[in-house]
Amino acid sequence: MIGRLILAAAASALMLSQAMADTTLKLVEVITSPERTVTLKEIVAKFEASNPGTKVEITSLPWGQAFEKFATMVSAGDTPDVVEMPDRWLSLYANNGMLESLEPYLAKWEHTAELNDRTLQMGRFVKNTAYALPYGFYLRALFYNKKLFAQAGIAAPPKTLDEFADDAKKISAIPGKYGYCLRGGPGGLNGWMMFGAIMNGSNAFFKEDGTSTMTDPNFVKGFTFLTDLYKNGYAPKDAVNWGFNEIVSGFYSGTCAMLDQDPDALISVAERMNKDDYDVTPFPKGPAGKSFPTIGYGSWSMFANSKNKDLAWKLIATLDGPEGNVAWNKKIGALPIYKTAESDPFYADPKFKGWFAELGDKDVTPLVMPTYLEEFAYFADSVAVKSSQQALLGQVSPADLAKQWGDLLTKAQQKFLAKK
Amino acid sequence: MVAMTKKTPAVGSRGFDLASVLEPWVYVSPALLLIGAIMLVPLGIGISYAFRDIVLLNPFSGGFVGLAHFVEIWNDPNFWNALSNTLEWTVASVLLQFVFGLILALLLNQPFRGRMVVQALVFIPWAVPSFLSGLNWAWLFNPVAGPLPHWFVAFGVMAKPDNILSDPVHAIWGPIAANVWWGIPFYAITLLASLQSIPLEIYEAAEIDGAGPLRRFWSITLPFLAPTIAITLLLRAVWIANAADLIVVMTRGGPADSTQILASYIFTQAFQRLDFGYASALATVLLLLLLAYSVIVVFVRQLLIRTD
Amino acid sequence: MPPMLYNLRKPAYWTFHYALIAIYVAVALFPLFWMFKVSVTPNQLLYTEGVRLWPSSTTATHYLSVIEHTDFPLFFRNSVIVSGLTSLFTTLVAAGTGYSFSRFVYRGKLWIVGLLLVTQMFPLVMIIAPIFKLFAPLGLTNSLLGLIIIYTTYNVPFAAFLMQSFFDAVPKELEEAAMIDGATRFGALRRIILPLTLPGIAATLGFVFTAAWSELLFALMLNSSTQATTFPVGLLSFVSKFSVDFGQMTAAGVLALLPVCIFFFLIQRHLVQGLTAGAVKG
Repeated sequence: MIGRLILAAAASALMLSQAMADTTLKLVEVITSPERTVTLKEIVAKFEASNPGTKVEITSLPWGQAFEKFATMVSAGDTPDVVEMPDRWLSLYANNGMLESLEPYLAKWEHTAELNDRTLQMGRFVKNTAYALPYGFYLRALFYNKKLFAQAGIAAPPKTLDEFADDAKKISAIPGKYGYCLRGGPGGLNGWMMFGAIMNGSNAFFKEDGTSTMTDPNFVKGFTFLTDLYKNGYAPKDAVNWGFNEIVSGFYSGTCAMLDQDPDALISVAERMNKDDYDVTPFPKGPAGKSFPTIGYGSWSMFANSKNKDLAWKLIATLDGPEGNVAWNKKIGALPIYKTAESDPFYADPKFKGWFAELGDKDVTPLVMPTYLEEFAYFADSVAVKSSQQALLGQVSPADLAKQWGDLLTKAQQKFLAKK
Repeated sequence: MVAMTKKTPAVGSRGFDLASVLEPWVYVSPALLLIGAIMLVPLGIGISYAFRDIVLLNPFSGGFVGLAHFVEIWNDPNFWNALSNTLEWTVASVLLQFVFGLILALLLNQPFRGRMVVQALVFIPWAVPSFLSGLNWAWLFNPVAGPLPHWFVAFGVMAKPDNILSDPVHAIWGPIAANVWWGIPFYAITLLASLQSIPLEIYEAAEIDGAGPLRRFWSITLPFLAPTIAITLLLRAVWIANAADLIVVMTRGGPADSTQILASYIFTQAFQRLDFGYASALATVLLLLLLAYSVIVVFVRQLLIRTD
Repeated sequence: MPPMLYNLRKPAYWTFHYALIAIYVAVALFPLFWMFKVSVTPNQLLYTEGVRLWPSSTTATHYLSVIEHTDFPLFFRNSVIVSGLTSLFTTLVAAGTGYSFSRFVYRGKLWIVGLLLVTQMFPLVMIIAPIFKLFAPLGLTNSLLGLIIIYTTYNVPFAAFLMQSFFDAVPKELEEAAMIDGATRFGALRRIILPLTLPGIAATLGFVFTAAWSELLFALMLNSSTQATTFPVGLLSFVSKFSVDFGQMTAAGVLALLPVCIFFFLIQRHLVQGLTAGAVKG
């Protein structure tokens, strides 16, 4: 241990003297986990090797506090060159002029043409300029527990929301088991939006004039669907507080039988469940025969005040280049950004068929959240959590919930339209 | 050996001697410097935010808004909710910590076999970081992985093994339990110290006079303890009112803000909504409330100090 | 020491007494026991055997992973450095302040006391951003020194009150006698008074060490680099987006608790003793 410390001290002294002549790029990752950081370091090492004289300093923020930590750092002037940008943060940083437009770089990049349409579409979400280059997509699908389904006498996973409700009821009849791993706590907004949109048969959040579609009676039916699930005990009582970790562990511990999640949950589940005990299927369709699973992404952005913009772009290009990107996505479980990647043997794993089936189905349209609204992050992380919990607990009716959210979003959208 | 000789003023003379007037200040100066630079200056800046529109990351914010935030607070139902929760949280935590701490101190005041070991053991919770205590208790209350819900059912307190942290009416008792567990040693230590300083002759005299144990407690022990009790209640209440970490770690203020206290509300306004102006206004209100409370307690304490 | 009083107690009283003591000890130790139990439970059994008092098979893998595969030893070391230096500096500064309160009567003393109390009263969240702005240009963010400065400042008030009560227990006459003999006040303080308050100093050191060891908020917000991370923040890193690694987290928790619990175990007697003597002065 002492030996290692001395070695580390000597190494850093050496590097310090060398670094005087080097350029150092600062990279911040925010959706941090130990395995991810290892993969990131590997990709970065390749970058450093092909760009001698450049060092990359990686800062890994704990995900639970990443938002506030990064905001504090940035507000005090401690900005990186490249940062991992979750879709929900993009509007905040881009609209405040902190990010560099990647358009000039993309115009000259040899791989731009190989990116699938969604990639550029999402990266350009704010002001129609690419302030971020997505590295992968998180698309919802339905995980279900085959063992519990068999136990409840259900032959196949639900294809419609009605079947979903029915299956949830049957499984909850088994003592100690529940049908749905409801995410009532932080991060649960996607679920509410999804059920609402599916019941409404449309993925539009706003009408032409900026009013929210949430107050449409069918959208409200989606909210009622969820509150009924909770009230009838088809989801665990504790679920009102559940966040990502709890719903995933609820699923792999066999407490609840159905889970709507992205491919990154697959990693945790695959580690802890026997692969014959679960499977992934496209998310059920609504009365209109359509389904709208939510889609989100993670991306890389460059800060506008970076002193090494060209070098920073090269780093982003390495991270998002074909080999880097596929290796990265395999580790983190997101869907790739390249058109050709879908034929990679990794994605041929039967568990991925659920997602690819969704992508190929014409009645399935991924639901994009209105993250271009500046207020959206606060809405999703605070207001929505509290009010949706109130709805689950019966303190507020689904119709009132929809009205509350509708009013807030209408205001935000109309403000946004006025600024255009 | 002796460094140098200094002329000390003759005992009884109150002549003006700059050195001796400055002397106490010299000893206090490091503390004053540190506190001035590290606490007061930022505090001043922080309070000034309360009168400005400061939204972190928005380069266009920063304008002076006067009392606008305070008006917003008055009309904010979340604030009143947080205030009432803060009262519930503080009063319950302080009272329970005090009562159990006092009992423990009384128990430890009697010499018995193994007392030293027992004393050391029961004080250990204080050494556990409060957030770790919170995580631990959250785990204990979770029916999937902890024993408490099942014991509650066995004792007939609960119908089904549920997690009380999900119940909006009872959720606050989770963090209170963790807080009481962690805080008992503080009271026990200070009260025990006070108890041990009560001269035994007084007890003996009272017992000879025929006073029973309860009577001795009320008329000797309590009055002696009163000044200490007052100060410890003051300090603990202030610390507890400001302590958001247990609540944030165990319930994040939920479900549905039923466990949101002022301190945790300030945290969310500052770091989730990034509205430092509003958060600073809230913090200023909390500061004023606690100041008022302290003045009252100090006043009461002055009334209670016995002159020996 | 025990006067005749105590021998008059009836056996029934003692049974009751011991029963209560046993309950207190059990309640104090049970959550810690549970944490230990989780730390030796293998991952597969974590949920299925969650409620048993002891898992059907135990494992040391969590401890091994924490020590060998994470940066935990580094975090631990950082915490030791920060807490150790904080307790040293705090005790020094607090000794001066406490001595001043104990020995002197002067105008402004009440104001200083009030000031110290006020510093305990506001939520620290409020000053994080200003402190960050203050420290960043000085290079004090991402550094252990920055944390030490803040922790010292925050702990001085309470430590000063502690030291005051320890000094109160030592009669003023001792220094005054020494000063009449020609010593300076400071010399008298160093040579005569301080040795008498050693238990009190030990207690203050221990108290501050414990407080600094558990601090989370500033450690989280001010430092982002792994090199300057302390163990509470390190513990949070076990909560990733993908899972909460309870086995490793509780193992790290147990490891981090051991030194501070042992330390506290040893000094708590002095805390009581020292406070006892000074408590009469209230």
